Amino acid sequence: MATRKTPYTSKNWLVKVLAALVPGFIFTLGLTGVVGLLCHTNGNPQSASGQYLMWLTALVWSTLLSTCFLFRSGRQAWGYLSLGCAIVWAAYFLLRSTMA
Amino acid sequence: MKLRADLVQMYRDVHSWVGIIAGLFLFVAFYAGAITMFEEPLKQWASPPVMLPPPVSLEQTPELLQKTFTAHPEAQNDYTIAVTPEDAKRGRLTWEPEQGLGPTRNRHSSGQTFSAGLDQQGNLVVVPKITSETARFVDVLHQTVGLPLPHNIASFVMGTVALLYAVALVSGVIAYLPALVKMLFAVRLGQSLRKRWLDFHNLLGLFSLPFHIIMAVSSVVFAFHGQIFALEHKLFPTTVAANQQAAQGGNGLHRHGGRHQGGQPETQPSAAGAEQLPQALLRPMLAPSAVVATVAQQAPGFVPEVLNYMRLGKGRDVIRVFGHDDRYPTRGPTGGFMVLNGYTGQAQTTDYLPGHQQTKFAILTTFFSLHFGSFGGTPVRWLYVVLGLVGAFLFYTGNQLWVVTRRRKEKERGHVQETRGTWVLSALTTGCTLGCIAGISALFCAVPFLPGGGQQQAVSALYYTVFCAFVVAAFCLPGQRGIRLLLAVAGGITALVPVMLCINATPFLHNAQGVSLTVTASLLSLFLLVCAARYKRQL
Repeated sequence: MATRKTPYTSKNWLVKVLAALVPGFIFTLGLTGVVGLLCHTNGNPQSASGQYLMWLTALVWSTLLSTCFLFRSGRQAWGYLSLGCAIVWAAYFLLRSTMA
Repeated sequence: MKLRADLVQMYRDVHSWVGIIAGLFLFVAFYAGAITMFEEPLKQWASPPVMLPPPVSLEQTPELLQKTFTAHPEAQNDYTIAVTPEDAKRGRLTWEPEQGLGPTRNRHSSGQTFSAGLDQQGNLVVVPKITSETARFVDVLHQTVGLPLPHNIASFVMGTVALLYAVALVSGVIAYLPALVKMLFAVRLGQSLRKRWLDFHNLLGLFSLPFHIIMAVSSVVFAFHGQIFALEHKLFPTTVAANQQAAQGGNGLHRHGGRHQGGQPETQPSAAGAEQLPQALLRPMLAPSAVVATVAQQAPGFVPEVLNYMRLGKGRDVIRVFGHDDRYPTRGPTGGFMVLNGYTGQAQTTDYLPGHQQTKFAILTTFFSLHFGSFGGTPVRWLYVVLGLVGAFLFYTGNQLWVVTRRRKEKERGHVQETRGTWVLSALTTGCTLGCIAGISALFCAVPFLPGGGQQQAVSALYYTVFCAFVVAAFCLPGQRGIRLLLAVAGGITALVPVMLCINATPFLHNAQGVSLTVTASLLSLFLLVCAARYKRQL
């Protein structure tokens, strides 16, 4: 952190928040999918695993929304979160095809 | 602990803007939530008495059932037996005639409810049972952050507010905690008003932080669980077995506490056995006294309160036993339930039975009970009332801090008058907070005069009239005198609440909860009146 060039500012908040809202949510959903597949859940709301996953989704998304300001710029926020999306969704489809 | 100054400054900006957007909604949610801790006793108090002879004993209930079903066969499909003497006063046997039949019938319809009893000669007496909706209205205010919107829109707004609340918490901790630890207990009363509000805000915020973290995450879950589950459903290949399980689910805490059940989506019980109204007497299910005996045997320590008999047809008739066990946290605000086979009394589902859950469900139950304060009995309920009121005050101090800081900056810049933004926020803060307090107090003052102890429309109209009157008055009467007047009126209306609690029904004062609620209302009104007398608008 000491080597950062640009200082933190709240000026570009909108871009960062949008990043947490859009790619951030898609990332969260993908992560839910990966974790769910690894736990062999069927996503049934009555099952314990389905409910834990729902809490996980809420927790991860809230955390992303509150930490998105730590990205250096709006562009960086979008970049990293889109990359995260690509990774988790690739993992999700890969897992799903190998498990089926 | 030292954080970079620019990082702290950024999170300070985030904290003030997020706080200012969500603060007033959260005030209403927390204040109404604190009162909702008493939803059940307030509902009992506000509901008009049911004009029935003294209830028959649990052992004689089969006779009452048989006579009722002969006269009202439609009651057989779904009826409720009150076990506790307190509940039985409002009818040992109650039922709601079903409006529509078939799979689409609405189990949550607020149709008319009937109660039945036997007079001294053993003749059947059936009367309508009217339940006051006043306490429920306050609960809904709590869930919808005080907005009179359709439930799905309100719940979306509530979820957004909950997310903002989470962001406000994280940013508040990052921005203020390092500096705060240095001067934790210092409340600079003698110094400037801004410092006093800041110290109060920090002190309250820090000490209730765990409570606020729980509330923020669980509120996000309560608001968005439906949507998240729908998406989850698309993510995973579902099997036929899972769908069947979902359709059967022993779900129904909604009906007893009548409270929100985040994370537990509503399922419609299968109506296979109820496609036609029964004309003849059906095979009787297990008698209430036998149910109580088998519950005592299968789940010692669980105190049954209400038995709900449901005929689901095809041999799947069940009895759902609602109750509580003070030793364990409960999933619902007031208790848990178990599902018994309707004829053998064998337990079918104990997933929601306190102390008999599998560990994985017990942990989930903990999340819910941490939101509802449904663990640890009365002391924890009171702790939650205090934390709720303190939380509401925290949001008020946050708004005041914002206003006072802006005024100071404007004065430094040489403005003679405050800017429009400051003026609007200052008026909104006074109007919304005092309007909410006065509106809720007015509801409980009006209960004895409203038909049926307050039904939805009347209660809603009264609350929003008082609320809007306060907001308008706050804009029309700015300055010290206006605020003093509003404080005095809100305090006056609140002072009437204990009076009404005492005169409307004496039984309310016979239990500890009623007495302490009366004392709390008195203290709150005293606080408001003292504030009215001493309030000085300073910079």
